Amino acid sequence: MEIYRIQGLSFAFPGQEKKALSSINLTISSGEFVTVIGKSGSGKSTLLRQLKPVLAPHGTRSGFIEYNGKPLGEVGHRTQAAEIGFVLQHPDNSIVTDKVWHELAFGLESLGLNVGTIRLRVAEMASFFGIQTWFHRSVTELSGGQKQLLALASVMAMHPSVLILDEPTSQLDPIAAADFLATVGKINRELGTTVIMTEHRLEEVLPLSDRLVVMDDGCIIADDTPQISGRKLHELGHPMYASMPAPMRIYTSVETGAIFSQQLPLTVKEGRQWLLNHFSNGAVEPAMEIEEDLVAADRPIAIEFRDVWFKYEKTGPDIIKDLSIRVPKGEFHCIVGGNGTGKSTALSLLAGIVRPYRGKVLLEGRQPSSMKTSDLFRKFLGVLPQNPQALFVKKTVELDLYDILSDSGLSHEQQKLKVQDVTVFAELEPLLAKHPYDLSGGEQQRAALAKVLLLEPSILILDEPTKGLDGFFKEKLGLFLQKLNAQGVTILMVSHDVEFCAKYGEVCSMFFDGAVVSSGSAESFFSGNSFYTTSANRMARHLWRDAVTVEGVVQRCLNSRKM
Amino acid sequence: MRRDSFAGFHPFVNLAYFALVIGCSMAFMHPLSLAISLIGALSYSVVLNGRKAILFNLIYMLPLLLVLAAFNPLFNHAGATILFYLPNGNHVTKESIVYGVAAACMYVTVIIWFSCFNKVMTSDKLIYLFGKVMPALSLILSMTLRFVPRYRHQLSVISQAQRCIGRDVTQGNFIQKARGGLRMVSILTTWAFENAIETADSMKARGYGLPKRTSFSIYRFDRRDIIVLAILTALAAVVLAGAAWGSNSIRFFPSIAVKGYSPFGAAVYGAYFIVCLLPVMLQLMEEVKWRFIESKA
Repeated sequence: MEIYRIQGLSFAFPGQEKKALSSINLTISSGEFVTVIGKSGSGKSTLLRQLKPVLAPHGTRSGFIEYNGKPLGEVGHRTQAAEIGFVLQHPDNSIVTDKVWHELAFGLESLGLNVGTIRLRVAEMASFFGIQTWFHRSVTELSGGQKQLLALASVMAMHPSVLILDEPTSQLDPIAAADFLATVGKINRELGTTVIMTEHRLEEVLPLSDRLVVMDDGCIIADDTPQISGRKLHELGHPMYASMPAPMRIYTSVETGAIFSQQLPLTVKEGRQWLLNHFSNGAVEPAMEIEEDLVAADRPIAIEFRDVWFKYEKTGPDIIKDLSIRVPKGEFHCIVGGNGTGKSTALSLLAGIVRPYRGKVLLEGRQPSSMKTSDLFRKFLGVLPQNPQALFVKKTVELDLYDILSDSGLSHEQQKLKVQDVTVFAELEPLLAKHPYDLSGGEQQRAALAKVLLLEPSILILDEPTKGLDGFFKEKLGLFLQKLNAQGVTILMVSHDVEFCAKYGEVCSMFFDGAVVSSGSAESFFSGNSFYTTSANRMARHLWRDAVTVEGVVQRCLNSRKM
Repeated sequence: MRRDSFAGFHPFVNLAYFALVIGCSMAFMHPLSLAISLIGALSYSVVLNGRKAILFNLIYMLPLLLVLAAFNPLFNHAGATILFYLPNGNHVTKESIVYGVAAACMYVTVIIWFSCFNKVMTSDKLIYLFGKVMPALSLILSMTLRFVPRYRHQLSVISQAQRCIGRDVTQGNFIQKARGGLRMVSILTTWAFENAIETADSMKARGYGLPKRTSFSIYRFDRRDIIVLAILTALAAVVLAGAAWGSNSIRFFPSIAVKGYSPFGAAVYGAYFIVCLLPVMLQLMEEVKWRFIESKA
């Protein structure tokens, strides 16, 4: 049975000529798992919000949407609240009350159910989602992943027949995201709930999806099974293809011509099998030994941690334990590692916000905590915080850029010149007149980066810069960072994003339990890991251990073909 | 917090109990009443907080009691029995000393009861009780408790980010500091408004605003709540009847006068004793029973 039937749907925001959605036709049957992808600004979120009238933005709409055979406009508020579940992007914003149990009951209270029914439903949901161990906690004590799971559970408690999720994992680390997506898969499989979601982590979602809908500029350009939609994108040569899972991209780059009609591999497992069948003659190259000391003697050191120990409270646990890193000038250094291993604390130490109780933190031989802020942060150290919104102070991006130069002592002309330069560099020209909060995640990241760059840092520190960015913006950010790096800026980046580090990083370190456990050039580092590595490497490591990126694997496949 | 048996009762029972016991402690000035209430308050605070309560009572409450008791006779010269004269010519009376001690006791006892109240009546329970009267208020309180820590956290995030671009309230001269502070508040406000839109969406998406909203709670009024409430009501009836009869009242000025012994008076004090020590007794009973079960296992 069809749960949604959308016909000729067009939508434009008030006062805008350009349509955010133009003649969308889409039919979704009950129990399907539909993933919608597209660049930011392609209309994914707008489309999802049209499916739940209370959340639909104002604007001019034409065409019609049917829900369960009835026009969506005629579906009552109560039915809509209960049957169409909607999970938003930021778990922090979607949680309303202070206690976990209260949040679970929030929607049921709205529906006016009696206490006995609510108690049963809340108990059921807590058990299904494994929430019972933190049922009585305050929301503030939860991790990001737990918060998003709670937001999902509180929607599921209303027993919706369709679940709509708008980039639910963009704020989560990879492990929490995988857990969350697995739970969504379980809901779809075991409860038969229809799932419609937008998502960037295609590697995890596509194996769960029945259909992949690709949007571009307000239109649907592909709508089929993930394999066929993927193939279509490839044939179109569409930039969104870059965000497809690595196995699929490797396959299509290697296999051209007749074999192309076969099934495309979606998962690492399928990719491995395909490689084994076709390239098993390629000999396994031995793993590279991890070089002990990469730092060439002749390069001056920009950032150094020397046997650093740190804890927040006197009697508290050590957060940083005997940490030693040396980053030479001009290096692009990535630190990867799980949550709560002390990565962000290490950055606070660098910015001089906290001091180590043993050992030394040195920036070009000087201790940041004893430097004057004007010396430290002007023309020396730039820090891009995890949440770029914390940097913006003015009404428009342009004013914001000027603001940072306000007490630099430069003349207006000089300021103008500098702002122009950085605008061109960060490609901000079309965004200058906008409010910083109206920019998309990737644009905000760039504007914040521009702001930090106006201080002309020679050392740049980034905390999770790829959080919430789609593949397109990630690539852009990566190129910016490489460009900066080529200009001689030392970059230290903390990230969960293994793929990003492998592609753009020069040297990678793994952080665990308050210290760096291993370190090496990106290639040798990832080929030495078995789990904490890119999916391209996991797919091909039984043949070519040192093939880390998609391009690397493709290169080796083609080489072995020639042989 | 250690597990306390009385705190596990229904919030309404907790509230009724504290209303009764704090009210009585303030009203009854008879030394015996005061002593009973003080013993009750002290022992319950120790049950709730252990060693910390003992320290708190010794370091803060005892000196407070002594100071308050000493101050009254210095400034209050009413009373018939003059004991001696102060160097400035004012007289000190027996009644004012006794009244001072009694008032200080009462004051300290009420403070200790309130410290217990604070520990037992958690925000959840208060919200629940408010919600019974005004459902909308309970949601507002719950949301406030959610947002205050959130805003505080965001403020520290903003402060760190601003510091890393050389802008912070802790840096520069007074004017720069003030400007930095204003800037932070401005960012926080923008951020809060921006995010509140999504929160409103989340509430709307889950049907907020539909008529006939109900209020859910995790508290249940079960049989032991009924039993304890019944016992409490019966004891309160005896105590209040005694108060109405004046069997536990005292007159301080001009001369001290108390009612003599009567069987009814004794019953009133007995009832009051049980009331004040009820939480401690419940806890003891539970512990004894627990020991017994463990010894059988």
